[in-house]
Amino acid sequence: MITFLFFLLRISPGDPSQKFLSPDLSPKLASLIKESFNLNAPLISQYETFLMNLCKGDFGISYTYRIPVIDVIKSFLPFTIIFSLISFVVQISFGFLLALISVRRINGIADKTFSKLSLMIYALPSFVVGVSLIFIFSELLNLFPSSGLSSFDSESFSFAQKLIDYSRHLILPVITLSLGGVAVYYKYLRDNLEEVYNKPFVENLRAHGFDEKYITRKHIIPNAVNPLISVAGVELGLLFGGALITEVIFALPGMGRLTVNAILSRDYPLVTGCTFVAGILVIITNLAADLIKAKLDKRVVKGILN
Amino acid sequence: MRSNRLFFLILIFSLLLIPACQKESPVNNDRVVTAIPSDIESVNPLFAFDLNEGNISELLYASLVEHGWNYQKGDMDTFPMLAKSWQWSKDSSSITLNLRDDVKWSDGQQFTANDVVFSFDLYSDPLIQSKLYGSFKNFYVDSSQHIDLKKTFTITNPYLLTINFKKNSTPSFYDIDFPIIPEHVYKNVSRKDFVTAEKEIKPVTNGAFYLAAWNKNQSIILKADTKSFLYKPGNVSEIIFKIVPDYNSRITQLKRGEIDLVQDVKADDFPILKKDENIDLVALKGREYDYVGWNNIDPDVYKKSKKIVPNKLFGNPLVRKALTYAINRNEILNEFLDNHGDLAWGPISPIFKSALDTTLSPLPYDVEKAKELLASAGWKDVDQSGVLKKNGQEFSFTLYIPAGNPRRDFVSTVIKNDLQAIGIKVNIEKLEPEVFFQKMYGRELNAWMAGWTIPIPIDLKPFWYSDFSEAPLNVECYKNKTVDALLNKIETTKSESQKNILYKEVQEQIYKDEPVTFLYWVDKIIAYNKKIQNLNVSPLGPFNRAWLWSVK
Repeated sequence: MITFLFFLLRISPGDPSQKFLSPDLSPKLASLIKESFNLNAPLISQYETFLMNLCKGDFGISYTYRIPVIDVIKSFLPFTIIFSLISFVVQISFGFLLALISVRRINGIADKTFSKLSLMIYALPSFVVGVSLIFIFSELLNLFPSSGLSSFDSESFSFAQKLIDYSRHLILPVITLSLGGVAVYYKYLRDNLEEVYNKPFVENLRAHGFDEKYITRKHIIPNAVNPLISVAGVELGLLFGGALITEVIFALPGMGRLTVNAILSRDYPLVTGCTFVAGILVIITNLAADLIKAKLDKRVVKGILN
Repeated sequence: MRSNRLFFLILIFSLLLIPACQKESPVNNDRVVTAIPSDIESVNPLFAFDLNEGNISELLYASLVEHGWNYQKGDMDTFPMLAKSWQWSKDSSSITLNLRDDVKWSDGQQFTANDVVFSFDLYSDPLIQSKLYGSFKNFYVDSSQHIDLKKTFTITNPYLLTINFKKNSTPSFYDIDFPIIPEHVYKNVSRKDFVTAEKEIKPVTNGAFYLAAWNKNQSIILKADTKSFLYKPGNVSEIIFKIVPDYNSRITQLKRGEIDLVQDVKADDFPILKKDENIDLVALKGREYDYVGWNNIDPDVYKKSKKIVPNKLFGNPLVRKALTYAINRNEILNEFLDNHGDLAWGPISPIFKSALDTTLSPLPYDVEKAKELLASAGWKDVDQSGVLKKNGQEFSFTLYIPAGNPRRDFVSTVIKNDLQAIGIKVNIEKLEPEVFFQKMYGRELNAWMAGWTIPIPIDLKPFWYSDFSEAPLNVECYKNKTVDALLNKIETTKSESQKNILYKEVQEQIYKDEPVTFLYWVDKIIAYNKKIQNLNVSPLGPFNRAWLWSVK
């Protein structure tokens, strides 16, 4: 992946030293900077240096920030991970809750309403959701701030005040990022639950007089949730990669904005670093999903062993 | 079960509402919040490449002198700053500066002449790659453009410094107008690793403000340094640069009072914001113009062999003039810019009153004149097909524009339609900005639309000089020996009035040759909350002397 990215970036049009060509700057500066970026060296020699550095865990110096790429990513990644996890929990819990309510009375009012709403919400682009939320909750009702992660004076706040301040700033972005996911998880879970609900083994348990609560908790939910774990693993990995639109609308310091800005400014080392980290996170979340699946269903392990 | 669910729902709503019901923290009323679209990369003036970086670093670090815009002369005035007075030698080959002895760095160290010498040393060092590298033309420099400190500086005492300029050079205050940095903080930093190492060092400043906080991609908070010689009680105590990437969010926050100042407001929003009783608007006559670039030479031949061959379509000045006559620039001004701009006819902005040649005027929109000029250049609709031809070749070309710029989208459509009306086929192609600029700077494009911001002081050489190595921005490949001679003469002329005469001569030549179609100068619209007092919006930007602001 890294090798492919290295060559793809360098053969793509664009020049990282281009931004140093300006009426205010001496033409000598652009050539000096290009040389210091090692962009004049042959591609193979650049690749050799890159690999040697990578072996030492060094992605190089960001052309934009002029500090090691790892340090740039370190300052953006924690927010993305926390923000993604909050959104992930919201997506899963709300999707799950709504699916349970729906399945209790299939084709009931709640089920029909939620199903139609979920389709509508899924079709809504996140920038529409974000801008609408800002208009309603910030502009009209003046309940939440329209952008940023914290107030300017948050440094002087107590821990509890800081927590409330972050919550106030994050509610609208979390809703924007999560709404689509809630709809997806709702649809998945609802359909899975419905399918399991009518399976013969469930009917059999009912016939044996088991309590409906017990059947739901011990048999229906575990069977319905299993296929969803793989989807959740992939979704969480994608969330870790950054939520560009939400980050731009609400001016949040996440990996999405960092990566896109790095691509636009042709900051090769930073693009490589961001992609690498995003790739690793996708692998980790998928692995975690597989492990959870194996823990819940021993047949998966048996299947692998056989 | 039902009550459990109800309890759960109530709990969720309560959690959502608790933060909303919390009162916002008490706001500092003596603060101004301004929005910028993206985070800065450095507050160090050495690396202030971007406009906002320049604004912030100039508020943090004081310069030897400062400049203010004089509307009457249409030029800059120089004021004392770190240098409280000065004396030029009779032949202007040196300047002796009396430095202030009451300036302290934010860590308590005294500012002295050593800081000044050290700053010149760093700014010109090729290892540092500062924004001023390569621009010390009037100084004694070595082969790597590094200033010769021994020859250049004489420190008589910590507050008396003489700067000696190169023989036969034409120094001015612009040569010494840049922020000074502290020697004691940076002297032990390795020059080789300076670019990365300086990021680890907390800024030590001597300007009107100090850096209180920099929350990456969120905000940069500057607080007034009450010990600074620039501070006066009652002045603004805090300026916050809030990063808001989305333009609509910036405008919404301005209306809500979350932000107090927004630059680059779109002309569309002018009438709406004008109705807001809390907002003032300034449409500043600009230094930015849009143009259509016609490559004067054949880009394919130049790319292959670096040979200069006139462009088959745009090599003839008559054709370029005809194209300008054929484009209805007034329509663009009225429709898109809502008249927040002026028609352009040359590379000198109307704000430079002394240098502007007022005897010239924009070519009018005149389709018949365009057709006549094209016919005289041999382009005629010989077969009544509606397309002009010459020697069997159709007059058709691709006009390249950078993607993601609504103004360029609109204007390119106007150009396409206008040129089609006189028998020229235009195909518009949008390129990703990085790709577009790489091709433009590589002189690979035949026709394109872009814009330039003119530097202060005026410097035409990078745009119009024939030697491309000295003129990287002469992307239309304009070549005129008279212009070259005039530009060289400007560099060696000391008298400002004489320089202005030469600028006028350059304008006349460019007007005659029409190397590009100058479209319009764009007004820079700035919207700000009326609570900001003493805001002086000038061509130097709204932050020029921002420490004099106060808040009502």
